[in-house]
Order: sequence, then structure tokens, then C-alpha cells
Amino acid sequence: MAAIIEVRDLVKVFDKTIRAVDGVSFDVQEGEIFGFLGPNGAGKSTTINMLVTLLKPTSGSALVMGHDVMKEADVVRHIIGLVPQDLTVDDDLSGRENMMLQADLYNVPKKDAKERIDNLLGLVKLEDSADRMVKTYSGGMRKRLELAEGLIHRPKILFLDEPTLGLDIQTRTTMWEHIRDLKEKHDMTVFMTTHYLDEADSLCDRIGIIDHGKIMAMDSPATLKKSLGGDVIQMSIDGSVDFTSILGAVPNVIEAKREGSEYRVKVLKGEREMVQVLKAVSDGGGQVTNVSLQRPNLDQVFLEYTGKSLRDAEQMGSMDKGARMAQARQNRRRR
Amino acid sequence: MLRETYALTVRELKHWYRIKVQILMTLVQPIVWLGLFGQAFNFSNLFSSFLPPGTPLPPMNGILGGAPDYFSYLAIGMLGVITLFTCMFGGFSLVWDRRFGFLTKLRVAPIPRGSVPVSRISSTMVRALSQAAIVFLIALAFNYIPGLVGLTLGVNFDFFDLLGLFLALALLALGFAGVFIAIALTIENQETLMAVVNLLNLPIMFASAALFPIAGMPEWLQTVAKYNPLTWAVDAARVFVFQNPNPIHPVWWSLTALALFALLMIGVSIFVARKKLSAN
Repeated sequence: MAAIIEVRDLVKVFDKTIRAVDGVSFDVQEGEIFGFLGPNGAGKSTTINMLVTLLKPTSGSALVMGHDVMKEADVVRHIIGLVPQDLTVDDDLSGRENMMLQADLYNVPKKDAKERIDNLLGLVKLEDSADRMVKTYSGGMRKRLELAEGLIHRPKILFLDEPTLGLDIQTRTTMWEHIRDLKEKHDMTVFMTTHYLDEADSLCDRIGIIDHGKIMAMDSPATLKKSLGGDVIQMSIDGSVDFTSILGAVPNVIEAKREGSEYRVKVLKGEREMVQVLKAVSDGGGQVTNVSLQRPNLDQVFLEYTGKSLRDAEQMGSMDKGARMAQARQNRRRR
Repeated sequence: MLRETYALTVRELKHWYRIKVQILMTLVQPIVWLGLFGQAFNFSNLFSSFLPPGTPLPPMNGILGGAPDYFSYLAIGMLGVITLFTCMFGGFSLVWDRRFGFLTKLRVAPIPRGSVPVSRISSTMVRALSQAAIVFLIALAFNYIPGLVGLTLGVNFDFFDLLGLFLALALLALGFAGVFIAIALTIENQETLMAVVNLLNLPIMFASAALFPIAGMPEWLQTVAKYNPLTWAVDAARVFVFQNPNPIHPVWWSLTALALFALLMIGVSIFVARKKLSAN
């Protein structure tokens, strides 16, 4: 396997002060599904937009199959397909007309275009609605059409920016199947961003966790989960006494962290050690009001590397105020 | 280059003719102008109402660019105005495409940036010419409606004059479409764009020979009007339609100036597109 995307020290600064992407370096291997995971505003879309030649990097470099995204933008544009976050299909054309237009834009040989369009519309199960105006489509159908459009020129790399954002569970699952299919049957490299942990977990061969424009961790979901080194017992203990040292002394406990009355106890073989942990607390005079055992999952990985749960990060806005305002301006400009 | 430009032009035209109301709306205004203003503002009747009955009127065609009456004069001017209106709205589709992300799709596609404005300019020209053709036919049809004045063509009007008329309008459409699309590429906010376009629209229309003969205008306004592309187009058009012997500019001059204007503005719009649609 060779690196198909090479990113080195990529930086994007908006309005001279806001570092939306702050020195990011990584490789994407040929044939893998690579996921960028992070809260809104972490720098995922900014990174993807630089890779697909929409944004000019402030510094650093990005190569797609050895071609510089700035200096050889047109070569890169032929290699890649993009399924953007916003729906960009044309409402006032039929599904088939949208596909034909896309074929024209990518100069797909006319004699192949018709057959490819039929195949792709079949792949995303839109063959029956192909000749209806897109404005009559549901959100899921539009997204599927968007996916089919991104494939018309048989790109080597497909970029999916939040492919399932705003879709219902069922449609999401179908979308995942399509994405897996692409990788397996068409040997395509997929670069996707998501802020759904389950999506990254079930689809991606490797994920990069990005926050504040920096990559916090990068590996396969399994390795990342393993790096947590065990299960986590989460509990609330009444009172102001600090139990971390008592908890830390329990056998098999790797680490105990406190945040107010909340404790996160990292432990090997959690279900067996839970009893010992609870006993230690009550021996120490503490009252456990709430306890739960968590198997390692990506949410914990995220928590481990960014210090907050993804949901919290979403709510607080992962960026400082200035960065959020710049993002808002950027969005408004797009409106 | 040609394939994507053609495909995008067809897309624009599909948007246009699929929304029948839109075509109707752009036609309503010139028809109201011709049907009310053109009918009411009748120079000959105005003058004869001051003169003793039976006094012969001097022929009007001297001041009316060769047209026998004001309605005929205005009808040809209106063809230029409708071209201007169509071009003015030509830029707005860009705003929508930016808003709905379609422009993003074009920006990641391996197409020359210039194909975006060029496709819009060509589709705008097709729209403008079809609407002008409809208005031209309506103005002629007024002849057959009792109580209305219609467009009276010059006695020697032939097929080549018709071609000349639409050539002048086509060049005008290319130039103005270039102007407004370059503006729409630069000004991304819809409200600001609307304001700017409106600001430009009225002076272009009034400081020209489209609605009134420039002979009656103050000197400074005449100078402005003489170098307004809209004047060039309607002035040349009146030579073709009425065989106007005394145009403001010779017809070859007007057509050359219009062609240069069109080329320049297409160039400007491509230049702006390269700046605005590349990575930023």
C-alpha cells in the first residue's frame, strides 16, 4: 500500500488570525477508508476543502497521487470526486439530467456516459426516479444522487464531507453500505469526515481525531480503542473527599481521574473489578450514587484525546469565539 | 472547453423555459410600456391638438430616428431595453447557485473557470433574443388591434435588416450579460447585488436613445447617451428597421463598437471568474 494523499504541515488561517487548520500532517493509504473525526468547527471541512482545491492553504503542502493541490489543481480535480456537505444537485433538472451534466463537466466519453449513468443510478437505487425533477426527491435520495454524481468520472479518491449528516437511521445505513461497496468492489480510496462516532467506527479503516485544527490521534479504530488500555468505570461519589488515590490503589486499576464528583476509573477487566472498586469507595466512607461500566468505544477515545466528549464539544463549540465567528462568516458567504 | 460550456448553457436555458411564469414576467413590463406608455405618449396627436384642425403636421421621422411615429420609435428602443433587463437578471442565477452549492460543484470540476461566465452569457443572449423576438411580434400585432398604434416598419425592410436588427441586439446582450455576470461574481450578497444592479439599470436606460430621441436632451446628457452601448444598439436597429438616414453614429461604427464592448466584457467576466472561482 502506498500513500495516495500526503499532507504535510497544512495550515489554513482565516482573516489573518483564526487558525482553522493548524499544522496538520498525515498520509492516506491507497484503498483505505480514512475518516476525519471531530466536532463541528474542528477543521475537518477546511482540511477537505484544501484537498479538493476549493481553498488555498496558507502554508504547508498537500499532494494527491503526487500532484500538488494548488499547482496542479486540474490534474487533482480529475483524480478526485467530491460529495460535499451541502446538497449541490440541481433541483430543476431530473436526476438523469444532473448526471449527464456531471458527465459533461468531467468530459466522460459520450458513448460511455449513458451506460455509466444507468449503472450508477442503479447502484444508488434511483433508477425508478431518474427522470423525475430532483425537487421532488427526499433528502436521502438527493444525497444518493450526489454520491452517484461524485462517481461519474471514476475517481481514484472519493471525498465525502459528512456523508450522512441529517439523514435518518435507515438512510444512513444504506449510505454506509454504498460506501463499503465502493471500497470493496471498485477499489476506491475514500476520505470522509464525520462527527458520528459509530459511523467512523463501523466504516473507517483508520481515523484521525481532529480538534482545534490539530490532529490529536490517528490509527485504526481497534488500536485506538485498545490504547485506552481497558474498560472505564464511570461513577459519581457524594461528598468533597478526593477518592482518586483510594481508587488508584485498587488492583488492576490503571488510572483514576476526578472531575467534581464524577470519577473515571480505567480498569482492566471491568466487570470483575467493579465490585472491588465499589468496595474501596464504601470502605473509604464514600457513597456511590451512580455507576456505569463502559467498554472501550470511540467516544472514550475522543474523550481521552480531546478531554471532552464529542457531544460536549459540540455544545460548547469546540472553537473559541473568534473562530466560530469566522466560520459563520464563511458560511454566510456561501449562502 | 466547448462541451462543458455548452452543457452549462443548456442547463441555464432549461431552468428558463421550464419556468414559464418567469418568461411571462419578463415580458409583462415591455408589453405594459408598449401598450400604455407607447400608446399614450403620441407625439403626433400631442402636436396636432395644439394646431388648428386640418393643419398638416411636419413629418416626425426626422427627430424619431426615421420612425413614422413615437410608438414605432419606442418599440425598437424597447427591444434594447428588454435585452438590458434580461442581462440584468442574468447574474442572479449565480447568486442562487452559490447559495445552493451548485457553484461548489463547478469549482471542483476540472473545467476552465471561464466556462462559468461564458455559459451564462450565451444563455442570457439566447433568452434576450427570444424575448426581444416576442416583443417585436407583439408590437407588429398591435397594428391589427383596433384603437392601438402598431409598429410600422420601413418600406424597404427585408430579411437582412431583420438579421441586422438581431445582430445589434445579440452584441448588446453579450456585452451587458458580461457586465452583470462580472458584477454578480464580485458581489456575493444578493441584496447588495440587487441594489447595485438597480442603480445601474435606470441610468443606462434613460441616458440612451432607447426611449427618447437624444436631440431633446441637454448637451451633457447627449454626450453620455452617445457613448451608451444601449444607444449604439437601438440606433443601429433603427437604421435597419426604418432606414434612418441620419443615425447618431454610422451603422458600421455602432456595430463595431458593440462588438468591441461585447468582447471586452466577456473578457472581463472571464478574468473575474478566474479570480473568484479559484481556490481562495
